[in-house]
Amino acid sequence: MDKIDPRARWIFSFAFLLSATMFWNATFLFIFFILAIIWYYFGKTKWKETRHGWFLISIMLFSMIVINTIITGGGAGGVVPPGGHVIWPQKFTIPLVNWEINFGLTVERLWFSLCQLMRLGGISLIFLLIPYTMDSRAYGATFHGLGMPDNVAYTMELAIRFIPTLARDLSVTLDAQKARGYEIEKVKGGIFKKIARIAPLLVPVTMNAIIGSEDVANAMDLRCFGQAKRTWIYPLEYHWWDYALIGFSALMLVGSIVAAHILDLGGFWTPEWFMNLFA
Amino acid sequence: MAEKKKSIWKFGTREVVFAAIGAALYAVLGYATNVLQLPGAGNVSIRPAVVIPMFFGIAFGPIVGFISGFVGNILADLLSGWGFWFWWDLGNGIMGLIPGLFAGMIVDYKAVKSLLLGELSVILGSGVGMGVASLSEMWVSGADMNTVIFANFIPSFVSNIVNGLILLPILMVAYAAVVQRSGRN
Repeated sequence: MDKIDPRARWIFSFAFLLSATMFWNATFLFIFFILAIIWYYFGKTKWKETRHGWFLISIMLFSMIVINTIITGGGAGGVVPPGGHVIWPQKFTIPLVNWEINFGLTVERLWFSLCQLMRLGGISLIFLLIPYTMDSRAYGATFHGLGMPDNVAYTMELAIRFIPTLARDLSVTLDAQKARGYEIEKVKGGIFKKIARIAPLLVPVTMNAIIGSEDVANAMDLRCFGQAKRTWIYPLEYHWWDYALIGFSALMLVGSIVAAHILDLGGFWTPEWFMNLFA
Repeated sequence: MAEKKKSIWKFGTREVVFAAIGAALYAVLGYATNVLQLPGAGNVSIRPAVVIPMFFGIAFGPIVGFISGFVGNILADLLSGWGFWFWWDLGNGIMGLIPGLFAGMIVDYKAVKSLLLGELSVILGSGVGMGVASLSEMWVSGADMNTVIFANFIPSFVSNIVNGLILLPILMVAYAAVVQRSGRN
């Protein structure tokens, strides 16, 4: 993965995103999902590195698939036609409190949740890999290479360089305020008081960063920033495998457009064998 | 303070640095609060840091506001391991861009009129930005309009305007003191 040019990787990632989101047909989504697993495998990331990211993604998938599709049915409303084959009681009563719940889980909604898992899971596999396998020092050159103006691409690179400094300032400010009796963890008070309690941390960090940035801007001006075409410390170079990946990405995107919009194969449908499982 | 017309679309060296500072600040503060997920709301977390792109928009113009939100959200998500969610990044960018459109009307950051304009920009920016991002869920995850409104738009919009309405005036008043002391705007 490290040998692939970051520009080719962004092109592939976006082509994958655009292609996968054209389909609700499980066959195509399965192909995309397998492709994403293979791509993720080549990243050679360790579980220890990515487990925090997967924890956050699993919260998102749980909320979108279990809560929005399986329990409330809202997540499926835009794609799955109304009605369907009910496999869970339309109504059931919770003992003791006698609450009546209208659940009505259908085979179609259950199949749709599998499709959602493949589609969102595939997209997550592709994009989760980026921060763990792409050198952040090459971001500026990458976005410049993808057609962004020099100023905007350099902003991205500069922002990455500022992160450790600002994180340290935040930590120092937090310690200094705590020494003065500041309690960010204090649970008393409503939501408004809790948000306002962030101010003693937010204001000094933001204002110090703005004051300090004047020096950075002056230094850049003295070095004639923006006066001529920019060069990059980490120049990027395409290899044959990068061209092959870009070609594959283009083919995937064009193939998806043809399959989904011309041949009309992208729509959602529930296979007979899955229906029979619940017959 | 003498009133003068500001060019809000300028993107020179100072704006490059301010946009980078805004994006990095949003990433660092967003990272610190990204784990506070709203229960039952897809892809939405409570972030007091949302005020950063709004404030950078108000103070330095729409391009700086947009980049602070767009790049800052990308970096915050990358730092938290969330991956890359283009439409939510775009929504966060718009949340900084719209307050930036008010930048030309604001000279004295602690005047009541300026603070009211700032508050108005928070509501408009959050509404349009989170609207665009929430609607993308119809395309990406196949949600219907009800889910988009109740699970994505309302939680993110309400959370962002509450954070913005409380914290933006505080930052504007603090910045007024910085401007007065440094003599630059």
